[in-house]
Amino acid sequence: MDSSTSSISAVVGVGHTDWVEDYKRVRSGEKPHDSYGYATQAFNCALRDAGIARDEVDGLIVGPTTAYERMGEILNIDPRWGGQADAIQAVLQAVLAIKSGMAEVIALVYGNDQRSAAVQYGGPEAMGGGAFLSYVYHSAWGLTSQGALYALMYQRYKELNGLDDSTLGQVAVAQRQWASLNPNAIMRKPITMEDYLGSAYIAEPLRLYDYCLINDGGVALIVMEAERARKVAAKSGTKPVYIRGIGRADLNSKATSLGPRLLDFYLPAQNKAAKQVFDAAGLGPKDIDALMVYDSFSPHILFALEGFGYCGVGEAGEFIARNGIGVGGKLPINTGGGHLSESYMQGWNHQVEAVRQARGGLGNRQVPNCRHVQYTSDVAGKAMSVIYGA
Amino acid sequence: MNPSESAKSPRLFSPYDAPMWESIAQGCMKLQWCPDSNEFRYPPGPACPVSLSMEYEWRPISGKGRIISWTVFHRTYLPAYPAPHLVVAVQLEEGPIMVSHMAHSDLEHIRLDAPVRMVYVDHPDGYRIPSFVFDAVA
Repeated sequence: MDSSTSSISAVVGVGHTDWVEDYKRVRSGEKPHDSYGYATQAFNCALRDAGIARDEVDGLIVGPTTAYERMGEILNIDPRWGGQADAIQAVLQAVLAIKSGMAEVIALVYGNDQRSAAVQYGGPEAMGGGAFLSYVYHSAWGLTSQGALYALMYQRYKELNGLDDSTLGQVAVAQRQWASLNPNAIMRKPITMEDYLGSAYIAEPLRLYDYCLINDGGVALIVMEAERARKVAAKSGTKPVYIRGIGRADLNSKATSLGPRLLDFYLPAQNKAAKQVFDAAGLGPKDIDALMVYDSFSPHILFALEGFGYCGVGEAGEFIARNGIGVGGKLPINTGGGHLSESYMQGWNHQVEAVRQARGGLGNRQVPNCRHVQYTSDVAGKAMSVIYGA
Repeated sequence: MNPSESAKSPRLFSPYDAPMWESIAQGCMKLQWCPDSNEFRYPPGPACPVSLSMEYEWRPISGKGRIISWTVFHRTYLPAYPAPHLVVAVQLEEGPIMVSHMAHSDLEHIRLDAPVRMVYVDHPDGYRIPSFVFDAVA
């Protein structure tokens, strides 16, 4: 297996906006920034964290919610390589750009004013249909939200495996436990299984606590060629966090008629991405100290555990109960609280948390001896993963 | 088709959707069938994903299928579908999975692989739409 993308690049800086403060301000009717403003704030934080000057940046990847040119104009970056991508694709593209010598210092910036702009993820004006026809195609029958697609997926999984509602509840309860230790998390009040089971269904079998937050904010990362990263880090006294491996496999066939989602739970794609990322890093699930999973809805966590080989098919609920994924658990998952409790930054905040866990020093939410952190996502059957290690 | 109905149509996501909705309006849903691969496809599209052939016939489907999954909307997102609203995923006899709906009162009897058959009902926006009921098979 090709491991030539392993450890050739490192994250040297991370930054994000004040999700907690902006959540309060937006709820009280203010509009602190637009998407570009949040992205710029985050970028400034990441530059400071990296201890480098803006002019060192020679590559720019912007998130899907800001236009590439305008973002570059605002940041005044004329890169020799650039693009637009979601969180995990941005990390993968940065590694490939560094591998091919197209850039050495790449800024990954994301800003999203989804709450203050009242972006709709369900209902008649649901967004996302331009990229994923399955998000909108079934609206004539009343299915309009991405949450409902995960509800369909989890309902079948639940029936096939004979599970009760508390199986899924473990995820929301554990992630809230992590969030309670994270000053950057929007939802910090711990919840119990009783709270979970008492909360309202939205698209049954998913309850309110199974859904991600909707909030404004921004995230930025600075990804650098590894040799240069070592020098920069030595000067600034920080630890570069290396990208040890990347993996990707997509399922597009029958996506709109939901075959890969409902019949396969995206497992074939996750299996392939898992093999790639673990082989590249020379690691396996047993070597991973903390796992970050894209969690627009809590079922993602169960499917990722099975797809990436942490447990057998249909065993994720039992795996969670036996090992624990919350504070003190054997496999800490989404240690910042994830999209459910920390902030919904569409996978970007998970990269920040992964890097911070690998750096160490996170106080009472630090995973002990945290050497390897994996991130996975399975958005609409596009299974992707990266392993970080200091 | 009644000409007065033609003005009221569901959202078309591609030009290939129109003949399908016309067949639904006539109470006999048709899907594209590929003579090269012998496959039906859904949603409608320009080519057969199996053979890549762009030749096709609109063929009636049997309307029979089985339940793959379901979800109940406990919030009203669309005026046409007040909560609680039961959405189902049905695998058609011809192969494709189709999202549709059933009466909420069917929820207590729903289970994986339950046989269902297509019926045609009125959407409040003024067009016919396929729905499903349990199929009493011997």
